[in-house]
Amino acid sequence: MSIGRDGIAGLVLLAISLVLLVKSFQLPSLAIVPVGPGFYPAIVLAFMAAASALLVLQDLLKRRPTAVADAPAAPPRNYRLVVIAFAIVGGYIALLPLLGFRLATVLFVGTLQAALGWPQTARQWLVLAAIALGTGLVSYVVFERYLMVLLPRGAWTGF
Amino acid sequence: MLDLLWSGLVNVAQWKYLLPLFAGTFIGVIGGSLPGVTITMTVIVVLPFTYGLDPLAGLAAMTGVYVGGSTGGLIACCLLGIPGSPASIATTFDGFPMARNGEPGRAIWLGVWASVWGGLLGALFLVFLTGPLAAIALEFGPWEYFSLFVLAMAMVAGLAEASLLKGLISTAIGLLITVIGHDPIGSVPRFTFGSGFIGGGFPFLPVLIGIFAFAQIMTDLEKLNLPGGQATPSLAGIKLERFSHLKVNLEIFRQPFQLAWATIVGLIIGILPAIGGSASSVMAYDQAKKFSKTPERFGKGHPEGIIASEASNNANVSGSLMTIMAFGIPGDAVTAVMLGAMTIHGIQSGPLFISQNPDIAYGIYAAYILAHPCMLLICLALMPLMLRVTSVRMAVLAPVVLVLCIVGAYALNNTMQSVYVLLLFGVVGYGLVKLGFPLAPLILGLILGDQIEINLVRAIMTDANPWLFLTRPISGGLLLAAAGSVALAVWQHLRHQNRVAEETPDF
Repeated sequence: MSIGRDGIAGLVLLAISLVLLVKSFQLPSLAIVPVGPGFYPAIVLAFMAAASALLVLQDLLKRRPTAVADAPAAPPRNYRLVVIAFAIVGGYIALLPLLGFRLATVLFVGTLQAALGWPQTARQWLVLAAIALGTGLVSYVVFERYLMVLLPRGAWTGF
Repeated sequence: MLDLLWSGLVNVAQWKYLLPLFAGTFIGVIGGSLPGVTITMTVIVVLPFTYGLDPLAGLAAMTGVYVGGSTGGLIACCLLGIPGSPASIATTFDGFPMARNGEPGRAIWLGVWASVWGGLLGALFLVFLTGPLAAIALEFGPWEYFSLFVLAMAMVAGLAEASLLKGLISTAIGLLITVIGHDPIGSVPRFTFGSGFIGGGFPFLPVLIGIFAFAQIMTDLEKLNLPGGQATPSLAGIKLERFSHLKVNLEIFRQPFQLAWATIVGLIIGILPAIGGSASSVMAYDQAKKFSKTPERFGKGHPEGIIASEASNNANVSGSLMTIMAFGIPGDAVTAVMLGAMTIHGIQSGPLFISQNPDIAYGIYAAYILAHPCMLLICLALMPLMLRVTSVRMAVLAPVVLVLCIVGAYALNNTMQSVYVLLLFGVVGYGLVKLGFPLAPLILGLILGDQIEINLVRAIMTDANPWLFLTRPISGGLLLAAAGSVALAVWQHLRHQNRVAEETPDF
């Protein structure tokens, strides 16, 4: 009997629901309402804990293939690119209040495009720069000037 | 009613509404035709543009996206053999073979015209049935609402393909997200751990955008730049053969029963909460095959297959709009975003929506009706452009879509907090997808969480007897249906497991 990915996910969710379930019992009750603020969360968390426990059990009882050789190969995935993309989005979000929307957006769109498909020729670099500048400019004009939707100002740049 | 509808049509025919409707429909058709970009993603992209618009203009744009997206998906279906959006999945079964048989134009236009007629037939139901449905909803007390929401969640969790258990856990995660922050009755902080960041709870739209957009984009990025990976074939330069639009329409109306039945199937699936267009497309296709005099021709380029799938996925839109307008429950993720947009503009959805906001309600009907001729015009005039657009690379598309998602979150209340929430739930959403948890139940839990709690507490405050949930006829019936839905899902799962066990002998 060995634990798989579902089992681990179930254990994590079970732990979270049990911790929060205990917390829900500690919430103060209100005089005007017959049930306290912890009543409904307790139902949700008890349900989640039970379902998570069942998921762990289901995973433990699952028959796993002993020979991996005959198993169909999973389609290849580029997880490195996903991590890079998340990091670039994280960087963009961190820089937004510092550089302001216009500058940060141009940098973000350019960087992410380059990360997803590195330009090989001068023309491709030109297209990348045009899309980055275009996105920053068009979104600024449309949102701020036309739709009156405010966008982040940069603490460092002042615009 | 017809007077109100007429004034709604005249109202939406003004440039200030017609322009957003046309632009939304255009973006919807483009978004729908791009493989890997769903209608939900397209409506999320359009969302920030609606903040600065008049509420009806914003909702008209979103309705346009919904109608356009439901049709746009068929282009990639017919020409590439891959659905442009999940709502068009069954169009692939006959659209692609017909295109390969040398009739790509006929395949596409059968789909476009079937979408128009299916959508307009659906509009009849939307206009005439939403009011009576809202009147039924007005009779509902907190017990019935609570039970209705439970039924919605049970149905969606039961539809989870991989595992019912994961569907149920996913629902619970959605509900859990809504209990974080202040409780809706007494404003007592719950599970905030003293943090200012989560003190006010998680705003709905950034969570929804984060979970949905990131899960989708990041999953698409996994397939980029792989050694030996195949790029999506380009449609630029494909020429559609000459054919007669009249003939195509005659072909559709030769079997009016098929068209009407596909529309009704789409409509019913649309009314059922949180079941999307893909289910309606597949179910209508299946029904068309069962009722057809020539079922053996299905899958080989049969026009009936394309007509059923496309008529039903556009009628599905009218069903979803009925649910949101009569009950205040989103029929799917697209209407969930629309519900969020309505809330931003201070419009309360629910059974009183039509009587309290007749201008907006009939404006939505009008926008839905007018979106169909708009979509037809766009397809007639811009088909070559759309064929070019479907070959836009993900490397270009992803950064632009992400910028719009971030603007959508930021512009909600002009704070970076919403953007941080977006990123946090982007990571959570992607993680859940990788662990095999379906996102549809989570989103429904997220949407209904507050309402479930409010109605539960309201019911208990009115009468502390818990048996009322079962003894009140409508409430009891709804709970029974919820239990039946879960039982059916368990039975189907067990039957599938037994079949697999029989097919794979144990050595």
